Amino acid sequence: MTAFVASRRRPFLQRLADASEPWLYTAPALILIVAVMLVPLVLGVSYAFRDIKLLNPFGGGFVGLKHFEALATDQAFRTALVNTLWWTGASVLIQFVFGLILALLLNQPFRGRAIAQALCFLPWAVPSFLTGLDWAWLFNPVIGPLPHWFVALGLMETPQSILSDPDLAMWGPIAANVWWGIPFFAITLLAALQAIPKDLYEAAAIDGAGPIERFRSITLPFLAPTIAITILLRTVWISNFADLIVVMTNGGPADRTQIVASYIFTTAFRRLDFGYASAIALVLLVLLLAYSMLIVLLRQSLLKRG
Amino acid sequence: MAAIDIKSARKAYGAVNVLHGVDLAIGDGEFVVLVGPSGCGKSTLLRMIAGLEEITSGEIAIGGRRVNDLQPKDRDIAMVFQSYALYPHMTVAENMSYSLKLRRTPKERIAAAITAAAGKLGLDQLTERRPKALSGGQRQRVAMGRAIVRSPKAFLFDEPLSNLDARLREQMRVEIKRLHKDLGATSIYVTHDQIEAMTLADRIVAMNGGVVQQVGSPLDLYDRPANLFVAGFIGSPAMNMIPATYRLANGTGVAEVAGGHRLPLAGSFPVPDGTAVVIGVRPEHVTVSPPGSGGLRTGVDLVEPTGFGSILHLAPFGQPIKAFSLDRSLGRDGAAVDVTFDPARLHVFAEADGRRMDPAG
Repeated sequence: MTAFVASRRRPFLQRLADASEPWLYTAPALILIVAVMLVPLVLGVSYAFRDIKLLNPFGGGFVGLKHFEALATDQAFRTALVNTLWWTGASVLIQFVFGLILALLLNQPFRGRAIAQALCFLPWAVPSFLTGLDWAWLFNPVIGPLPHWFVALGLMETPQSILSDPDLAMWGPIAANVWWGIPFFAITLLAALQAIPKDLYEAAAIDGAGPIERFRSITLPFLAPTIAITILLRTVWISNFADLIVVMTNGGPADRTQIVASYIFTTAFRRLDFGYASAIALVLLVLLLAYSMLIVLLRQSLLKRG
Repeated sequence: MAAIDIKSARKAYGAVNVLHGVDLAIGDGEFVVLVGPSGCGKSTLLRMIAGLEEITSGEIAIGGRRVNDLQPKDRDIAMVFQSYALYPHMTVAENMSYSLKLRRTPKERIAAAITAAAGKLGLDQLTERRPKALSGGQRQRVAMGRAIVRSPKAFLFDEPLSNLDARLREQMRVEIKRLHKDLGATSIYVTHDQIEAMTLADRIVAMNGGVVQQVGSPLDLYDRPANLFVAGFIGSPAMNMIPATYRLANGTGVAEVAGGHRLPLAGSFPVPDGTAVVIGVRPEHVTVSPPGSGGLRTGVDLVEPTGFGSILHLAPFGQPIKAFSLDRSLGRDGAAVDVTFDPARLHVFAEADGRRMDPAG
């Protein structure tokens, strides 16, 4: 009782110190998060509603939804949106399929497996710009071998770069992206594979399941949550990933490889229209958030089942 | 149901031999327990029968059919794993019906088999649950249910009770024994627990270092262990091993132990006077009586009461031995007791190779 009375009589400064104590402890982290993450985010979002052009130093005023109205009728944006779907879908799907196959192979016991694992993960360590340059050269008919191989295989009549063919150009960056991104799926799926108890496979073998049935009824259910989360991550990542396209095709020919991310890059750093670029980025952000929510819900339901 | 014949089955990993030619004939409906310390090759042998390990050389036949080159699924056996190996994303019913589904059994037959098995194992109320929502004992039952729905030729158990606590283990032991009585299926059971081996088996196969040490009924192994390994492995508390020298006195054998004490044996043995031997005597066969009753006088060093009786630590001829006594009054630290040995209860092993020796005639 006396303690209670005493506490009510404490001086104001003492009470302030007590109340602010937890905040003071967390302050370094909070300040860092606010400064590094929230400020740029809010600033970026605010650009979307302002007229910010580097070529017009007297701009910067609030323009409301003008950028978004322009976006709604922007044919280039619509093309970029469709290209993004195409680029992301094909890249993720092919990366995933090859990554899964690679993970399954690396999960088998064989001589020199450790070295094979290390080698397979090497592309991941190559900087994306270097990857883009490499592949651009590989597709170049003057110095690269690929066009000549395509001719030898009868896929092409004369050696030429697919990067300058409007119908095929997108496959250039996709091929580079697949090569670069397979290790990501292989690493994560291999880790998940190694976590599956071996005796489940033995029990299934005794129960009469062949290799395909074992894959279907044991491997896949165990991998499903990992597959969901890696596909989510890669999808968001790849749809934001403009490096390869900027380096290899710069969005061309005739915007045929322009994705939303590279369109933002071009708008901001070539046309120097930061306001419009921010508006596009905001739309992309909303689309990706919606997509992420969908996958997270899917993963939750998978985990609940498991 | 079927007999299982194992002929000089050998297993080697590269240059390392883990199983040195095992010969074993298991009769139709027999319950055989493979027992031994970890690394003795018992699990490897079981997995070779199941088809999960290749057979390096030799032959295994199930129901008269050579199975060396058959896939596990074509051997018509069922296995219960130590970890249960239940499919976590399937319900109890789905776990049990998986093998039947793969074999394209008609739906009604599957349903009937599941109901019967669930009833037998007390899982009726749990068929829609997933393994995650079951206790250890229930999971164990599901694993057994998965084995019995198929009515296979043989059941293989790989240390199925190791993950359960002591009380549950005892309970499941009885259930397994009852199940075997009901189904009468050929069963091979691997364990390192000699109590499980003793209580469950029709016949025990004691193994050590990849070699079969002795095959026989539980009481056979208990009463007439073939060598020092089996003598020390079967029975708890373990058999006392007393180094001694064999002497022939007046036509009957005696064992001369440390300090010159002579223990009379049950007869004469076909070895020369002066042979080094090991005398084995089970703690329950060391007769302890109050001082003055005759025998070797010794002090009680330590008492381990078990409730049922007491394990007394003694040293009648300088060497520590254990005795099991039902008389609680004797079990006091520092008390003096008299110890006698029944010649018929003394096991004699050659020290050179550890082999059991029996009296001549």
